[in-house]
This record gives sequence, structure tokens and C-alpha cells, in this order.
Amino acid sequence: MRTGSTVNRRTAALLPLVAFLAALPSMAPAFFINFVMTQTLMLGLAAATIVFLAKYGGMVSLAQFLLFGVAGFMYGNAALEAGSRGLNLGWHPWAAVASALAVTTAAAFALGALASRTTGLYYLMLTLVYAVIGYFVFAQITEISGPSGITSIERPELLAAPVSLYYTALGLSVLAYIGFRALGRTAFGLALQGVRDDPVRMASLGFNVPLHRTLAFALGGFVAGLGGLVNVWWNGQIDPASIGIGPTLILLIIAVIGGVSHFEGAWLGAFVYVLMFTYLRDLPLIDRIGITEARFNTVIGAIVLLIMVLSPQGLAGIADRLRRRLPRPRRPGAERPAKTTGRLTRAELIDE
Amino acid sequence: MRRLDRPRRTAALLAAAALALAGCTDGGDSTGLPADEGAGPASGGDGVRLGILGECEGPFGGFHEDVVGGTSLAMVNHAGAQVESATSALDGFTGAEVAGTPIELVGIGCGDDTADRILEEVRRLVEQLGANVIIGPLSGDEGIAVAEYAAEHPDLTVLSGISGSQEQTLQVQAPNYFRFFGDGAMWNAGLGDILHNQEGWDSVAVIADDYSFGHTSAAGFIAEFCGVGGQVDTRVFPPLGTTDYSPYIAQLPGPDEVDGYFWAVGGTGTQAALEAFVNAKGDLTGDQHAGNLFFNPDLAQALGTDIAGAYVGGFATLPGDVTTPAIEEYLASADETWESLPGGVSGNEPAPPSTAAAFGFFYGYYSAGVALIEGLEAVEGDVSDPTALHAALSDLTLDLPYGQVSLDENRSGIVDVGLSQLVVDDDGEIVQEAVAIIPQVDQSFGGAFGPDTPSPSRDFPPCEERDVPWEGEAIPVVDGVPQR
Amino acid sequence: MAEADTTDAEPDGAAPIVQVRSVRVAFGGLLALRGIDLDVARGERLAILGPNGAGKTTLFNVIAGDIAPTGGTVAIKGVDCTRLPSRRRPRLGVARTYQKARTFEGLSVADNIYLALAGHRRRHRVPWRSAVDRRMRAEAERVAESVRLGDHRGTAAGALAHGQRRQLELGMALATEPEVLMLDEPASGLSRGEREHLVTLLEALPEAVTVLLIEHDMDVAFRIAGRVVVMADGETIAAGTPDQVRGDPRVHEIYLGSEGGT
Repeated sequence: MRTGSTVNRRTAALLPLVAFLAALPSMAPAFFINFVMTQTLMLGLAAATIVFLAKYGGMVSLAQFLLFGVAGFMYGNAALEAGSRGLNLGWHPWAAVASALAVTTAAAFALGALASRTTGLYYLMLTLVYAVIGYFVFAQITEISGPSGITSIERPELLAAPVSLYYTALGLSVLAYIGFRALGRTAFGLALQGVRDDPVRMASLGFNVPLHRTLAFALGGFVAGLGGLVNVWWNGQIDPASIGIGPTLILLIIAVIGGVSHFEGAWLGAFVYVLMFTYLRDLPLIDRIGITEARFNTVIGAIVLLIMVLSPQGLAGIADRLRRRLPRPRRPGAERPAKTTGRLTRAELIDE
Repeated sequence: MRRLDRPRRTAALLAAAALALAGCTDGGDSTGLPADEGAGPASGGDGVRLGILGECEGPFGGFHEDVVGGTSLAMVNHAGAQVESATSALDGFTGAEVAGTPIELVGIGCGDDTADRILEEVRRLVEQLGANVIIGPLSGDEGIAVAEYAAEHPDLTVLSGISGSQEQTLQVQAPNYFRFFGDGAMWNAGLGDILHNQEGWDSVAVIADDYSFGHTSAAGFIAEFCGVGGQVDTRVFPPLGTTDYSPYIAQLPGPDEVDGYFWAVGGTGTQAALEAFVNAKGDLTGDQHAGNLFFNPDLAQALGTDIAGAYVGGFATLPGDVTTPAIEEYLASADETWESLPGGVSGNEPAPPSTAAAFGFFYGYYSAGVALIEGLEAVEGDVSDPTALHAALSDLTLDLPYGQVSLDENRSGIVDVGLSQLVVDDDGEIVQEAVAIIPQVDQSFGGAFGPDTPSPSRDFPPCEERDVPWEGEAIPVVDGVPQR
Repeated sequence: MAEADTTDAEPDGAAPIVQVRSVRVAFGGLLALRGIDLDVARGERLAILGPNGAGKTTLFNVIAGDIAPTGGTVAIKGVDCTRLPSRRRPRLGVARTYQKARTFEGLSVADNIYLALAGHRRRHRVPWRSAVDRRMRAEAERVAESVRLGDHRGTAAGALAHGQRRQLELGMALATEPEVLMLDEPASGLSRGEREHLVTLLEALPEAVTVLLIEHDMDVAFRIAGRVVVMADGETIAAGTPDQVRGDPRVHEIYLGSEGGT
């Protein structure tokens, strides 16, 4: 089986990388681990849900950061015992985790159901509307967001050490990466790809297309919620501005930089984004050429453009092309032509 | 078909390995990984590594120069520093030294008025660049987030920049977080006393922006006005960014039904809301209106001289017409330090540095810088024990240009607040004129606000009578001279 | 009107398996079908002929549920399913192919057929792989062999040649073991050898399987069909055995005359 062996090879290639990342905290400075890498992993986790929905389902969702935030808000409301902000339910941290994930998944199911009959550009716009409405819901219903945010959110005791958040994000990222890839070979994942390629045909085969889209969206919401939990543990606070339109677009940019047709692209994009954000201004003389903090968004925008011009499939696409150039033994199933891959990428983005 | 199983096995193996790794470090304390240590400030150095949290994006992005300038001026005036550029504060300073201890500026953070961003910036300053003292941040919600961060990093020393939220000190109470200025509620102290007891207002309608600063600003007015015996009949909260205020104005009682109105609507909303009031109620006389720091003479351009008579709340500095030798010396020192600064007050055009220095954003960061210097002097430059520095800072009483500042038990400033009025000058123009200084205002408003009270909100505080410590204590200002 | 619970309906041996009554379809002002009546008996092999624009594919779409008729009724196995959504009809035993082959371009041949199987067996929401799954995969490969795509089972459908995609679609339809198999021009674009194979394949279907066939290739149509219906301008103009239809002068005039029996 061609596809089986591809999965196998990719997963095997992952092993040294995961081992390296697991050993990294004993080699790298604390800031790099606790700030750069932890943020990379949790943003990558959230961006991976964009890739999942776009790659398998042809649904480009701008609501993933909202769901990321819903999990954070719900955790904050449930876990805080007292204080002036939020619902202060005072639950056990792990009960708060469970409830946050349940609420996020349920919200994703409901939002996904509402959007399940739209595709392509309309899906993008509808999920953008979700992101905007979600922001206003949290900005205006201050009972659930505290007036301007929920603060002093503590993580469960198990995760008290700073580096444990890194390992949590790493573990969840590895699980999500493997899980998403494996899901693509299951009946559910294949059916989702069928829905992407031809929803009418899927219906005539007896599939409930809207329900299938909704379930995928709920799954994406669940995983985004996991990322959102790590985020709120990492930040200790969340406020409506955290899920505003700016961060929402940044997550999309991360997915696009990385390449929406590759799961590894999500983390790659997040890594590049965080690196740019953190270290760009430290380059010597960088401010002499006009790149100051105040112009960061312009610079990041320019870099995104550059990447998109060089490779519409993002960084992962560039990596893929480099890999193809290397001489290697032909594998039995290599007959899938590159032409198809290119066309599929477009289909994934545009749908139908 | 068998081969299909292999990735699954590998996958499970990988996942298990990752989880095991996560699990074995979860206990965390004794693993000795660098990432578990040193997450706090770099300790053991023999100097102050200073990071400034500025604001280079977002609604206050224009004040980046001002805030860095404020701290730099403190270093120049009191620690022998030199600024690097005569036309911009952002290039920082060198040569600052207090009691033999150098103060090195390691970085300037770039906030955008969100808590998330300022946390990233403070972590970068502290965890990457090794700052052990932070001056900043600028805005209210940022202050809460940074105070929480300080609470988790006890060896760090944070001097708030000009962030006006109550909670950063009143509720977070981090022992290493200091604020040498007032909060958004305190800046309206004295208005209620004067309006009720001098102007005879008994009932007031309040209209304020529906976000934390609007709530806090209104809360200070309400706590005091009700405290001295007035009544707040109506509270209206238009959302931030409202362009058409008429629906909210319609909720306000008419000019015949209340004695006056208190406005805490900021930015471009101030004028828009007042114009909507004129359209709906047909009448606007200054002696029926009071506003927080957003009331200014420019309103006369749209509203005419009818606005004369309105009272205006204070900010970190005193109104511009108040002159004392200390203020003049302070402003002159700014003009000597730089040729010009492109500050926020001058729309980021080069302007005399005293323009920026006279405004609260610059001054708040200046106050923090002076506090750091005096704190270092008190510990004789020894920063090896942060606790000692924190204790010294807590006990400071600063004689700052715009008044004396000491700290309360939550390390928040007890300050003088200057009130002013919009009046018509000899040329028929509307100008802002200082009328009173309220001495030694503190956060609690005689008990209206405390560690256990909720954050100011649409319905907090309630309208209740209570003793306001500074009732009747206002020092009149005549022609810019306080009658102490 | 829509009958949700149709799976238990017992087919009445005597009643037609597909019953179309006075079906009209209007696209805006254009009448694509002007009142079609059609009875198809169980096990019947029916070819529908007619020039382009006659309404053949529209009739297919109505029977398969892809479009709802403006008027009239459709019953399958005695159950009125005029308003039943298309995704419910496979449970009545209906499977179809499309005039322009509709396959899942990003998936391999085997996965395409596997999906048809998974949908048919109601296992398409299972997010893991099991023993059942492996059996279905093996079955999908057998189906791929049977439509001569065994060598291409790992190829993405989007990379297949035109004729191969038609065969894949046929495989997907056959995989669901349909009672009513609706084929929209299955032979178009096929090579001579592939056509032969197609005919062999269809002739080998179990007798109980009802086949509805739209086909321009007279040779294929007349070899498979026991009965032929000729449509023009949204109406049926002739019906009967292949020989009867061949001899009908109206058919010659409208259809064979213009296209010359491709």
C-alpha cells in the first residue's frame, strides 16, 4: 500500500524530531523553551485545526481562534474560585478542563452545523462573522469574560513547573499531528475528503454531507480548545482582545505561511511567526532600515507575501519540493503526478 | 494490508514517549532543567537591568516617545545619564548610575493596549533580555496583567508606568509592583465634593464609556458625589467606538430633571456625545456639565463658549496653568535634555520636550524613574536583595514636580489631584483653568473600594453616602498659584 | 410526502420498482420535462435514448433525488420518494453514475470505491480502522479489479484518464450492490476494448438488478437493454423493444436521423 508506507515514513521521520524536542529543555535557554517553543507549539496546534479543516474538508475556517479563546474563557470561569472577574465557579482544575473542552466542542458543533451548508468563500466569510460575533459576545457579556478579561488564572498543580507546559504542548502537538494524519486514512477522514472533492456525489452515495462537515468542525474545535487551554495556562489571563480579529488573522497567516496542505506546516508557520516576532528586532541595525516594532505587522505581511510568491503552498510546500529534488529510490505508488498535487491544493483552498 | 498497521504502532509509540516525557517532568521542581529555573529575572548581576514597557501600536501607540522620554529624563536629572539622541527618546540613555550601581536600559517593550501582547513583551524583557526592573506599562488592562506577572516573579521589580486601573494594586497586591501615581477613579477626586457642596448639585446623570477605564472613571466620581450626599439618578454606558450617541443621550434625563451631568466619554466620542446632547436636549450650558480628563478647550470649537463653566477632572499632572518653581524646573530640564521630541501630544511632530513632559503619560514614567533612583539610594545601590529594594520603595515619599507622592499599603500612590474648569479668557477663547488641588487622594475613597469589592462596572459602586477623607480639603488655586 | 422510513418497505413483486408519474421539471421558463410517465419492472434493463436536451439526465436527476420535480411523483419500490433527499435514496437500493464522471479527485481509486462501500454499510463516521475496515478495503480492491482498475488502485482519481474515471464510477455504483443501477452514458469516452468489457460486466449483473441506461452508443444500448424509451423535448415519444424502436419512423426523424447512430 503506497499511502500506508508514506504515513509510515513520515511518522518515522518524526521520531528523531520529537526526541530532539523532548531533549531541548536541557540544552536551550529557558526563554527559548518557555516562551518561543511553548508558544510555537500551542499556536501550531491551533493552526493545525485550520489545516485539518482546509486539507481534508475544503473548509477554510477563521473561527478556530475563537474556539481557542472559548476554551480559555471557560476554563477561567470554571477554575477561578474568587475574585472580581468571571463566574468564579471554583471547580477542580481538571473538572474545569473537561467542562472547557465540552463547551468548546459543543460550541464548535453548533457553529459548524450553522455553516455546514456553505462552502468556499462563503464558508470563510461566515466563519469570519463567527470570529467577530464571538469577540463581541465576550467583550459585551462581561459576566463570562470579566470586565475586560479574566485574570489570575492558574494552571493545574500537575503543570506547575514552567517547562511542563512545554511538554504538554509538545505532547498534544504530537498527538494531534499523528491523529490528524491517521484520521485521513479512516472512513471518517476519507469521507471528509470526499465531501471536499464532490459533496453532491457524496450525497448520492448516501452520506449526510452537512452532518459530516459539522462533525469535522466539532473535532477541529476540540483540538483548538486543547491549544486554548495551554494558552490560558501559559498567559495566566484571557480577555476579549485576545480573540479579536487581529489574533484571528495571525492564526490564518500562520497556517498560510506554513502551507495549508501540510500538517507540519502549521507548526512550521507558528515557529517562523514567533521567531520573527521575538527576534527580528534584535538583529543589528534592523531599526536603521526602518524595521522598528511599530512596523512589525508590515514586515510580517511582507514576509508572508514573499513566502506565498515563492511557494503558494507555504514553507511546507518549499520543503516538499526540496525533498522531491533529492535523488531517492522510486516507491511503488509514486505514479501520482505532481500536477495533481498542485490542483488539489487549489481545490483545498477554494473548494469546488 | 499488514503494512497499514505499522504507522499506527509507531504513532502509539511516539505518543506514549511524548506523554511519558511530559509525565516525568510534571513534578517539575527537582529536574534541574534550565527551562525550569531562571524563568524569573536574571539575579546576581551587580546592576539594574531596566526594561521599559512602552506602547508602539494600538490606541496609545503615539505615546511611545513620551513614555521612554519620561524615564530617560528621570535618569538624566537624577542619575547622571546622557540621552543618546537629541531628537528622539527611543534611542535611550547611557551612563545612569545611582550610589555606584549602574542602570542599564536593556530593552523597550512594544505594547498594543492588549494584555496578551504586554505579557509577551514583559516576558521578552525579563526572560530573554534579563531585565530585573521594569518600568511600565501604560494602559489599564496591561497594568493588571503585568502586576499578575510580577506576583509570579517575586525577584522582579515593577514600577507601573501610567496604567490607570484600580485592580493592579488594590486587588493583585503584588509585593514587588509599585505605582507612584493615581488611578482612573482617583483622577476625578474632588469633583463630587465641589459640585455638591459648592455648586449645589444634588442629582446627576452619568454617561461613561462601556469599558474598564470608563467604568473606573465614573466610579470615582460616583463614589465621591454619592459619598458627600448627592444622588446619581441615571447611568448610561455607550460602547467604546460609538459614532451615533443619540440613542444613549435619549436615555439621559432632560436638563430640567437633573442638576447636572458627568461625562466620562473619551477620544473622539467626547465631542460626538456632547453634540448629540445639544441636538437632543437643545441646550448645553457649561455649568450643568462636568467631565473627566477628556474634557478640554477644543470642545469649544464645536460647542461654542457655552461649554464655559464645565468642571474637568484631573490626570497625573496638574493643569497647565499651575506654576510652581518645581514644575518650571522640571519642564526646563526636559527642554535642556532634548532639542525636540515627537511626542503624542504634538501628534508625533517634533515639539519642545516640555510639551510632552507636561502631560501625564510622560510624567507617570518620569515618576517611576525617580522612584527607582530614590529606592536605589535608600538601599545604597545594593540590588542583590530584591526584598530590601521593595521595602525601600514601599517607604518612599517622593517630592515630585507636581506634588508629593507616597504609597498606601498596596503600594499604590497617594497623590494630589488637580481639578480645573473651562473658562472664557480675556480674548473670548475657552481655556482650561486650574481651580483646586485635592491633596493626598488614595484608592479607597473612604472605603468605597477595597480588595474585596468588585471591579468598577456599570452598577458598581452603588450610590451610598460615606465619609470622603478629602471632603472640604480642596486647596483653591488662584491664577495658577495653589493657596496652600 | 417524503417517507423517511422506507428501508423496511417490502417490494411488491408485481409493482414496478421505479414508477414515475406525470413528472414535470421547469428551469425558470424552460420546461425540461413535460409530464413523463415511466414504469420500470424489477430486473428490467431499460435504455433511454434521445438527442441532447431531450431531458434524459434531468429524468435521472429526479429519480436519484438530485433535483426535485416541479410536479408529479416518483416512487421507488412502491414508496413515494418525490421529496426524499438524494442521500436517503441509496437506502432504497438506488445507485447512479453521472454524465460527467463524478469521482473524488484527491482520493485514490481504492479509496473512492471504499467510500462508496463505507457509505453503503453506514460505517462512514468511524474515526478509526478496524477489522471490518480491512475487509471493506479488500473488497474495494476486488471491485477495482472487476472494473479493470486493479493496476491503478493507488492512483488519485483526478489523475485517471477519462474512460478510467467512468469505470471507477461504475465500480463505485456496483460496490453498493444496487437494486436500481442508473448509468448516465457509461460508454462515452471508452475505447472499443473497454466498451466490450462494460457490456460484459453489465450482462453479468444478477438478474434482479434493474438497470436504467442513458446511452448514445446504440450498439451498447441495444445489446444490454430489453426495452428502449426514446425521449425528445422533455417527452417520451416512443417505447418498445430495440427492434420496435429501430423501426419507428418518428425515432428516425428525431433522433437517429440527426445523429446517425453513433
